[in-house]
Amino acid sequence: MKKIVTLILLSTVVFYACKNDGPSGPDVSDFDRQAILENWADEIIIPAFTSFEKQTSRLDSAGVAFTTEPTMENLKELRSEWEDAYISFQHVSMFEMGRAMELRYRDNLNIYPTDTAEIQQNIEEDSYNLELPSLNNSQGFPALDYLLFGLAESDSDILAHYTSNTNAENYRNYLGDLTSRIDELTSQVLNDWTENYRDEFVQNSANSSNSSVDMMVNDYIYYYEKNLRAGKVGIPAGVFSGTPLSTHVEAYYHGNLSKTLLKEAIDASQNFFQGNHFNSTGKGESLESYLDFLNTMKQGADLSELINNQFLLAKSEAENLDENFSMQVELDNSKMLETYDKLQKNVVLLKVDMLQALNINVDYVDADGD
Amino acid sequence: MKSYILPVLLILLSTSLISCSTNSNDEPDIDEPATYNFTRNGESTVSFTGQTTRILMAQELFSAMSDFDNSTEELLLEMYRNQTAEGGDADPYSNSDLNSETKSVKSKVAASRDYFSSNASLSAELKNNFETWLSAQVNEVFVNENELAEPGKAGQIASGSSTRYISAEGLEYNQMVAKSLMGALLADQMLNNYLGTSVLDEGTNRQDNDAENTAGASNYTNMEHKWDEAYGYIYGNSADPQNPNATLGSDDIFLNKYTAQVSEDADFATLAEDIFKAFKRGRAAIVAGAYDVRDEQADIIRKNISTVLAVRAIYYMQAGKAALSESSPAYGSAFHSLSEGFGFVYSLQFTRVPGTDQPYLTHQEVEGLLDDLLGDGPNGLWDLTPQTLDEISETIASRFDFTVEQAASN
Repeated sequence: MKKIVTLILLSTVVFYACKNDGPSGPDVSDFDRQAILENWADEIIIPAFTSFEKQTSRLDSAGVAFTTEPTMENLKELRSEWEDAYISFQHVSMFEMGRAMELRYRDNLNIYPTDTAEIQQNIEEDSYNLELPSLNNSQGFPALDYLLFGLAESDSDILAHYTSNTNAENYRNYLGDLTSRIDELTSQVLNDWTENYRDEFVQNSANSSNSSVDMMVNDYIYYYEKNLRAGKVGIPAGVFSGTPLSTHVEAYYHGNLSKTLLKEAIDASQNFFQGNHFNSTGKGESLESYLDFLNTMKQGADLSELINNQFLLAKSEAENLDENFSMQVELDNSKMLETYDKLQKNVVLLKVDMLQALNINVDYVDADGD
Repeated sequence: MKSYILPVLLILLSTSLISCSTNSNDEPDIDEPATYNFTRNGESTVSFTGQTTRILMAQELFSAMSDFDNSTEELLLEMYRNQTAEGGDADPYSNSDLNSETKSVKSKVAASRDYFSSNASLSAELKNNFETWLSAQVNEVFVNENELAEPGKAGQIASGSSTRYISAEGLEYNQMVAKSLMGALLADQMLNNYLGTSVLDEGTNRQDNDAENTAGASNYTNMEHKWDEAYGYIYGNSADPQNPNATLGSDDIFLNKYTAQVSEDADFATLAEDIFKAFKRGRAAIVAGAYDVRDEQADIIRKNISTVLAVRAIYYMQAGKAALSESSPAYGSAFHSLSEGFGFVYSLQFTRVPGTDQPYLTHQEVEGLLDDLLGDGPNGLWDLTPQTLDEISETIASRFDFTVEQAASN
């Protein structure tokens, strides 16, 4: 009996010592989570989708104009709208929740490399159902990239696919179906935000794994890790495969847009972290202010400052890259790897240090299973 | 205070050490090697080529079930039977070594001595389950390759960034086949055939083993070989079969893989090591003629392999529950988990309670659970409720010495 008492006493001492380790500070639940959700929904997410939806609508109009009258001028106009929309998309891609999650919006709009064989087959047969998950990689921005820039070497040969090619009508149909689907899906997501989801999102402000803050933060970090760090830089640089994959860059057929898209995505990620209002100078509650409220420190420095610095370091490293990432990985992949390393450091700060401070659990795992 | 605790702990420690050592002194000496390396006259006595072959056949069958462009019902059935429909020689595999084999997957499904030697009708029924699923993959799923699945309609569904192909009830037949084979082929042959005394001690096996009479032209005794054949069903495709745990998890998609996965759960951390040690010690005991030690090791393996199947069954039931409970249910990933779970539940009828001739759940009980899984409404998994998944999980866990939470936490 004495032994047991001793052991119990001993473990109490040990536990007490553990519990008493850190300095006491503000608690995560003291922060106004609803204020953060309002800022996200009203000043960032809905404005970003509103702006993007204007772009997709212009893209679709340009698609209609070109398929009705396939001239070089209309092709160039369509390409330019595609470019603007693709850049604008970088500001909404991370918000895969609500209707976007149900639609698997991001997978419909931006899986690359695109499946050119399947695109050609769809055009050949003039029969396809773009709602099928197996056709995710033959639609969206990457498929348009191929159809607008990759069908042939010269612009006149590309245009000929839509005019004199035996399947010209099928080419026009497919292109038009892709631009209208991007616009249609985007309208669905935006309308759901403004009509239903905004209130549900803001009111779900508790401190639990199903709350909006926890879900949004998980989606944000998932996006940053998988789509930004890995998709835009790590996969083409061969971080996961061992050898560089120059055909796996974003906007491969365009050739000079991958760097622009990366920088835009880094900016969008940092803006979200800082709570900056979309396309304006205002600022509200954010992950940054939440961390500051909690006085979160790492190795003697403010964690929010470390994260902000890391965004800037990643961006300045990216400045050294060629506009064309495909060229970059072939000529000097070490610069891509440097950029990757800078981006990776923020995965650790966000996913480990920040989540620990905010008492949020990661709700996704790396593997998709078999 | 410190001076008082230390002696107490030391006493406690030594007591537990004493109570652990139960060696009796009348055992023959067992010479246990560091790895699964057994020799006679300088040559290895270990052989399990038949098991490696069947693992490779089953893996090809699994891949072929997703090959929409090249697979036919005829081809899948030939891969299962390694015979044509007329019973002639078939060459269905891409690996030519497999084509030259006369062995097949089907002949060893539900075919163990202990469970099926006097139960031919059940054996035939279970063998046919797989043929039904193979045919359905072609006749229900392949034909709807380019359809969107919905309740009551086969087709494709997204699961994360993957595309899955499901039946009208939401089931992936390829997952059901692969995971069900783990019980019906691998565990059944291992636990209820080769590790059973009716096979190990058959005929003059004991006398032959004691006298080191090797079998025909082989370098092993019959008993040694039977034990090794059990070993081959988990380590038969290992990079280094003498030290298989070095690459455990990456050598096949069956027991090897899932033993590794379950061992990653802290609640079952020693499981992979326990299984390998028991195989090694049991084999050394055969060499030493220590048959009671051999049978103790067989029971350790039975308990732990059964645990792998049960933990994974519960794990997938709970993963399915979590996906179905999301604010907008993630049907694709739920159905994927539940199709794997279906196979693991199916496999439980081939488990073995140590010291008995019984599975942890009988054939009838497993059938009942699978009916429950698909029975919440007319459209199978589409209608499934979280409550049913909890009931199935609890039923399984109640037969083992772990909880649903422990199994689900991997």
